[in-house]
Order: sequence, then C-alpha cells, then structure tokens
Amino acid sequence: MTRHNSGEYNPGTMQPSAELIIRGSGLGRTYALGTTRVRALQGVDIEIRVGDFLAIQGPSGSGKTTLINLLGLLDIPDEGEIALDGRPVAHLDEDQLADLRRDRLGFVFQTFSLIPVLTAAENVAYPMALKGLPVTAVTSRTRYLLERVGLGARAESRPDLLSGGERQRVAIARALANEPQLVLADEPTANLDSETASGILDLMRSLNEEKRVAFVVATHDPRVVAGSRRTATLRDGRFVGAA
Amino acid sequence: MSLWSFAIRNVRRNLRRSVLTGCVVVFGFCAFALAGGFMAQSLEGLRDSTIRSGMGHLQFAAPSAFSEGAVGAADQGLDGAEEIAAILKADPAVAEILPRLEFVGLLTNGERSVPFLGVGLDPVPESRAMDTPKMVAEGAWLRDRSERQVILGTGLAAALSVRVGGTVTLLATSRDGTLNAVDATVAGLANVPFKELNDRYLATSLGLASELLVAADRTSKFVVVLADPATAPAALPRLLGSLRARGHEVAGRSWQELAQFYRQVRTLYLGIFGFMGVILVVMVLLAAANTMMMAVTERTREIGTLRAIGTRPRIIRRLFLAEGMVLAICGCLAGAVLSLVVRLALNHSGIMLPPPPGAFQGSALHVKLYGTAYVAGALAMVLTLAAASWLPASRASRQRIVEALAHV
Repeated sequence: MTRHNSGEYNPGTMQPSAELIIRGSGLGRTYALGTTRVRALQGVDIEIRVGDFLAIQGPSGSGKTTLINLLGLLDIPDEGEIALDGRPVAHLDEDQLADLRRDRLGFVFQTFSLIPVLTAAENVAYPMALKGLPVTAVTSRTRYLLERVGLGARAESRPDLLSGGERQRVAIARALANEPQLVLADEPTANLDSETASGILDLMRSLNEEKRVAFVVATHDPRVVAGSRRTATLRDGRFVGAA
Repeated sequence: MSLWSFAIRNVRRNLRRSVLTGCVVVFGFCAFALAGGFMAQSLEGLRDSTIRSGMGHLQFAAPSAFSEGAVGAADQGLDGAEEIAAILKADPAVAEILPRLEFVGLLTNGERSVPFLGVGLDPVPESRAMDTPKMVAEGAWLRDRSERQVILGTGLAAALSVRVGGTVTLLATSRDGTLNAVDATVAGLANVPFKELNDRYLATSLGLASELLVAADRTSKFVVVLADPATAPAALPRLLGSLRARGHEVAGRSWQELAQFYRQVRTLYLGIFGFMGVILVVMVLLAAANTMMMAVTERTREIGTLRAIGTRPRIIRRLFLAEGMVLAICGCLAGAVLSLVVRLALNHSGIMLPPPPGAFQGSALHVKLYGTAYVAGALAMVLTLAAASWLPASRASRQRIVEALAHV
C-alpha cells in the first residue's frame, strides 16, 4: 500500500487483504554531500503486499533509488521504521540483515550486476549456495530458473558473452533463486533497447502473476509504469501522487 | 562454487597483476629458501670443521681446566687417566677417545723464540677421527705417540723461518715448576683454519710432551668423538655419571659449550639473515597489499552486489583472504621449483667464497637443501599475504552497500 506523505490514503489497486510483506513508516534519509546535507527522502509511508507490482516513478534525484535501498535493507533510514513481516529490522545486525536479503528479497539492478567470473548458472546458483541448499536442489532450481527466463541454452556462458537483455534475465533469475516474496528492481530497463526492455517487463509481469512475487520497480520507463498494477510518484523525497 | 574456486577465478581475472604479485612471492620464497640453505650449509660446515679440527663432540678434564683462561697444563691433569679412558671407551655411543696433554711454551730455532700453544696427542686415533692430519700442507702427520717430532702451524713456522725436517727447541715449565727444554724435528706444517691459532699451533706426540713437562703418563684432557653427534646431549651426563660413580672428579663439556666462535658466527648469521628476512617480508607485504587494495577498489560495485544479495561481511573478508592465499600458495610452489633450479646452478658454478671471519681459507659456494628454510619461506609468504590481504579484505567487508553499488 502506498500513502501520500500528506497522510492521504491512496487505495491503489492492491487488495488490502493480501499478506503484508514489508512496511515503511515515516521513512526519511539524509545524505551529506560535502558540506551540504541533502534530504533524499522524507516522511514516506509505504506498504508492499504479496503479489503487488508497484512502479515508483519520478525525476532523477527524487529519491527512488533511496527508497528501493531502504526497502531492500541495503541502507538504514535516519527517520521512520521498516518492518518485514511485521517485525522491525532496525535492531538487526549486518549478518541478520544479509540473511534476510538472501532469503526474503531479490534484487535487479540497472547495470545487471552479475559476478563476472561466474557463469550464468553459477550467478543464479550463488544465493542458493550461500543459503546452504543441497547441491542437487541448487542445480535443478538453477536449471528451472534459467529455462523460465529463456536462457536454458546459455547456462554456461559468462556474463561478458551475454547481451544486455540476457544479462538482465540472468539477474532476474538470480533474484528469484531463493523464492523471495519481494523483488526490488532499480531501473531494470534503463540500459536496454525498447524491444528487450519490453521482454524484461513481460517476464517480470508474468512472474508476478504466476508466482505472486511482488515487484517494486523504480523507473523512468513509461512502459514499465503502464504495465504496473500500481504506481507512485516521488518528487523531492516525497510521494506526490499515485496512478 | 567453493570459496577457493571463486578465489582462483578472481586471481586469474587480472592475470598480469596477479603474475606480478606472484613473482614478488616467488622471489621472496627463493630468498628465504636459498639464504636459509646457504646459512645452514655455512653453519654446518663451520660446526663440522670446529668438531673435526680437534674439538670433538665432548671433552672431559679436571674441573679447573674449563675455567676462564685456563690452559690444560700437566698439573691440572687427570689422575687415573687410563681408567677414565677405559670407562669412556666402554660406552656404546663413543667412537673414539683422544687423549691430550695441552701446554704452552716457547719455540726457538736458536736465534728467535716464539710462544706456542702445544698439544701432545696420540697421532693414530687423531688421524682417524679428526681432520687435523688433513691440515698438513707440507711434510707428514705424526706416526706414533712417542716420536720426537712436531707439527707446526704455517704461521708459527714462518715466524721462525722453519721448514720441514728442521730442528726446533721446545721450552716449557715442567710439572714441578722448573724450565725444561726438548729438541724436536719438524715433521710437517699445518694450515690451521684460524689465523690466530695457525700462528701459535704446535702438535707433538704424547711421549715428547710428557718428557717436556716431566709428566709421565699424564693426560690433561680426553676428547671424545661420538658415533652419532646427535647423541651428545644425552651422552655427556651419562658419561659424567659413570666417571663420578667410579670416584673421578671430572668435568665435561659438549662442543656447543666450547665452540665460542661457532656460537658467535651463528648469532651473527641469524642477525644478518633475520634482518634481511624482515626487509623481505615488508617488501612482499607492501607489494601484495597494493595488489589486494587495487583489487578491492576495482571490485567495489561487485562487493556491493555480493553484499546486496546476502553475502555476509565475513564471507567477503574470507574471499579476499583466500585470494591472498591462492597467490601465496602458487608463489611458494613456483618459488620452490625456482629455488631448486637456482640451487643446482649455484652448486655447480664453482664460485669460491672468501674466508669467513677468523679463517684464512675460502670454500666453494654450496647451498644446502634445507627443508626448514623452505617451510619457513612458505610460512613467511603465507602469513605475509594473509596480513597484506587482511586490511583490504576488512575494508571490502565494511563498505556501505549503497555506496559500493553507486561506485563508478
């Protein structure tokens, strides 16, 4: 669920009855840029439920990436609180946060961010190996995920031999490795041509529909916005509207 | 995908830089292995020459004979020498018993007198157990324990302008305090490997020494040569116990206690090589730390990604440490091969080394295959690389994820 920071409730299209995954309340984040302090986010409330597909749009510097980072437990808010499954995460240490990211969240980055020395299959398998899943389970799920994103034949290719679209598909497969309820994507189509971007969007949408995996996508891409169940707009670190 | 496999791939990723750092490790290891081998060989050579130049493995004498500045004169000689010799000989560890009668005096050619350090000995067992006879550069070694001949250090002979076959007179204070003199023929000239001793060295038969000192059948010292030098620490107290049990007031020393020069050289070598080792470790440390720091900087975004997808900080730290270990292990393996090749080349080069301190004879360069130096080299390189990787690895693991992901 998304609320305007004014407190006005925005019902969006998500059913309030769906299971809550993560909630951010009154989130604020300020960065120091030299001697200047930049307020990247202020007073943002947000809720993401199972099966959600939320596009966060807004101009550069509006706070989209900051919000994705906070929801992904990659950064700590200066103000407000984040609760995953109803439990606040503020008191958790680095290892506990790492385990939550590994087990409960998936990430897709603008620059794909695959590990260059690992093959496509190894990149997908990495989070599962990190979790300590049995090798047979890792192998079969890796195969399944790569097939699912249409890259079964490129499993042994290293990222430098894959196209941009293929890399992003591998990144999506990796994000789904440990069957997370929520995938956070920061400009996932920004570095792709329109045809490839459409393919990636279709893939995310179908995974959202099939697996009920929630997606939160920070984007400038109007096609992504158009394909989302819900949208929210950030400006100067505040939500200003919802589609 | 194991941590090690991941680390190996990362090391291979920037092959040129890894090879350069690996070379630093290779040369660091070689320096340890070869310098250690050279030091071990030198010390072993010095030890053997010290033992075989007359010192033996153990020495037994009257307690006062081992006091500072004492020269084993006949009045300090051992009572019951024959029984002492028999007790020592009965021990299974003992290979040879060398009786000695040590004394000081003046050697004269009729025109000039020079002080000497003399030793009366039994030439036959001496030639079996010691290298002393091999030191004879001119003439021949003594033949029996009663002949009236002497062996002179070349320095002592030169001081008196004496040649082989010439006659000299030995002057010494006898056991009863009177001055006594005997004539002797020069049987041979010896190159004693310590210049100061070479200028004063005189060896003669036990018979002539006893006659000069008017000390028939006296022995001032027994030098014991063991079948296995490693048994010396155990043999000394056992032999002393056997002697004292039979009522002989005898003191004993091992070669380690007596070889002051050896100890000084060993300390000097350890100091020099230790200092070089520290410099070497610091150089490898700086080179490797630079490589690892560059790797961390270049892979900042990747570290951010690994952290974002759930890698714990300690695993990031282990990954970079493993990369350091891969470099260290590969470097040590290549270093071991290179060390063996260089060692072979040096040992066949025929390079002559200058004489060590206190000696006047050089020796051919020989580097021993000294396992301890290889182990120490490997250990030093592995620990150095671990230390060099630790700081960058810690830095990598502590990076803020969002900053790492935004790194350009």
